[in-house]
Amino acid sequence: MSEVLPISAAVSVAPVRFSPRRVWTLAYATMTQLMRMKILPFLLVFCVLVAAMGFGASVINPEQQLSQFKTMSLGVLQIFSIVFGIVATALLLPKDLEDRTLYTILSKPVPRFDYVLGKLLGVLMLIASGLVIIDAVLSLVLWLQQSALFEASLAQLHSDKQDSPEVVAQMREIVARQGLTWNLHWAVWAIFLKASVVTTVALLLSCIASSTLFTIVITFCITIIGHGHAMIREFVLQPHLGSTSVRITSFLLAAICPDLAQFDVVDSVANGEIVPLGAVYEMTGIAALYMTVYLFVTHLVFVEKEL
Amino acid sequence: MSATPAVSVNHLTKVFKGSLGKGAFRAVHDVSLTVNVGEVYGLIGPNGSGKSTTMKAILGLLKPTAGDTRIFGIPSTEVASRRSVGFLPENPYFYKHLNGRETLHFYGKLCGMGGEKLKSRAEEMLALTGLEDAATRRVGGYSKGMLQRLGLAQALIHEPQLLVLDEPTAGVDPSGSRIIRDLIIEFRTRGITVLVTSHLLEQMQEVCDRVGIMAHGRMVREGRVEDLIAVENQTEMVLENASPELLAKIDALVKAEGGGTRMLRSGHPRTTLERLFLEATNEPKKP
Repeated sequence: MSEVLPISAAVSVAPVRFSPRRVWTLAYATMTQLMRMKILPFLLVFCVLVAAMGFGASVINPEQQLSQFKTMSLGVLQIFSIVFGIVATALLLPKDLEDRTLYTILSKPVPRFDYVLGKLLGVLMLIASGLVIIDAVLSLVLWLQQSALFEASLAQLHSDKQDSPEVVAQMREIVARQGLTWNLHWAVWAIFLKASVVTTVALLLSCIASSTLFTIVITFCITIIGHGHAMIREFVLQPHLGSTSVRITSFLLAAICPDLAQFDVVDSVANGEIVPLGAVYEMTGIAALYMTVYLFVTHLVFVEKEL
Repeated sequence: MSATPAVSVNHLTKVFKGSLGKGAFRAVHDVSLTVNVGEVYGLIGPNGSGKSTTMKAILGLLKPTAGDTRIFGIPSTEVASRRSVGFLPENPYFYKHLNGRETLHFYGKLCGMGGEKLKSRAEEMLALTGLEDAATRRVGGYSKGMLQRLGLAQALIHEPQLLVLDEPTAGVDPSGSRIIRDLIIEFRTRGITVLVTSHLLEQMQEVCDRVGIMAHGRMVREGRVEDLIAVENQTEMVLENASPELLAKIDALVKAEGGGTRMLRSGHPRTTLERLFLEATNEPKKP
């Protein structure tokens, strides 16, 4: 009959440690899995839209036109990244569970934290790739538009005989400030940070909820509340406002929801204001903190989840 | 030398908490079983008998309400216990955008494998499961039988000492089913322990050394297949080329013996429908 092996000869009892290589394997598989969901044509449509917005809008004045272009394109980009982050994340876990892929993965020596982190990184990598492509298109369109507008304004000034060096320099400064600067990239970075925080929230909710629709709806609600975080905080800090139950609810909402207004630099960038490097570091730090906390809670939930 | 079984389940009880308005459900009640190293153990029972829950507890996918499960002595709740396990779930699906070879590489990498070792192991598994020709085809286009075989290949990729197979032949045609059963028998000869569930009892009878029968969340029978199915007070004798005269003599002898001895039946043994099917479908195509 069966031969009995001593345990030392049979298997290693050493604990399985966190492995960046394993996380990368899961993240890469997640990214390619999402790419198969026809995300690239959508990205292409967005790029065409950006180009059309850049060249198709009627000429008002160089400053307004560049500002309007940035507001519109960055606004759409923000919505796109958040919607993609929420929907993709909400679909991933239930799909793996439905297809039993989760069973085959977790029955290997794969710690659940590695799995969750791999899934999150996969979604974020795809969002980041999309944003890099769109940022490049946006930069190109903005630079072309900036050059064209400057030439047109210069020609106008020349025909009006107002092309004194001071006026030309002023015009050049206005167009340069509203044109392609590092601010545009910082705005795209802020959009990525906001999408990353929202995606981590979606991951946490998808570990708790059994319904994809529930995850999507609640994450959207949290995203909306997150944009009004300052208002809720102000309300909670005023001792005489509202009933006790409303105050407790507001406090809980403020504690649970991330303050997404921290990442709102799109308007500033559109207005040509300079985003200081310190603010970029601060945003990055806040996003990292939020993601660490949400990911930690996600791990606590997922490690106890019955599959 | 300590005797450590491949799988030990000790007084396992699993109660699922009821959702809103529903009471708790006890899926498994005080189940104990042991799978020894190198044997093929079959867990059988009707739907809802607790087989899958027991399997999931063994794999650490579910936490027991009471009792414990161990793999080679390591509690199933520890990730380290999965180093030595390969699992094939019922009706497995894989990432459809990957092909067969990429799927094996993916699972190998999850187990910490890489480089030439992973490549050669993946090729070996593709050959073992007969999927060499389909290695570059996307998994989305695989038939059910091919998916099951790919499932077996991924379960074996990291050279586990224990294989857990949940309904490995469910929904597979007789030829595919035969291949899978032959593989299970081959695993045994390679010294791999197999824990398998199936509704197809004849198939379990063929491949298992021991079986446990579950019903209503409890283990109701357990033992060696021969012992469980043997009819203790009957003896079977199969003769080849026996003449009618010899058969008449044997019959006369039995009658002469008297006492409680009786000839219950004699006739030609029948082949199985499965064997007939395989013979018929494997016949060379007529021009």
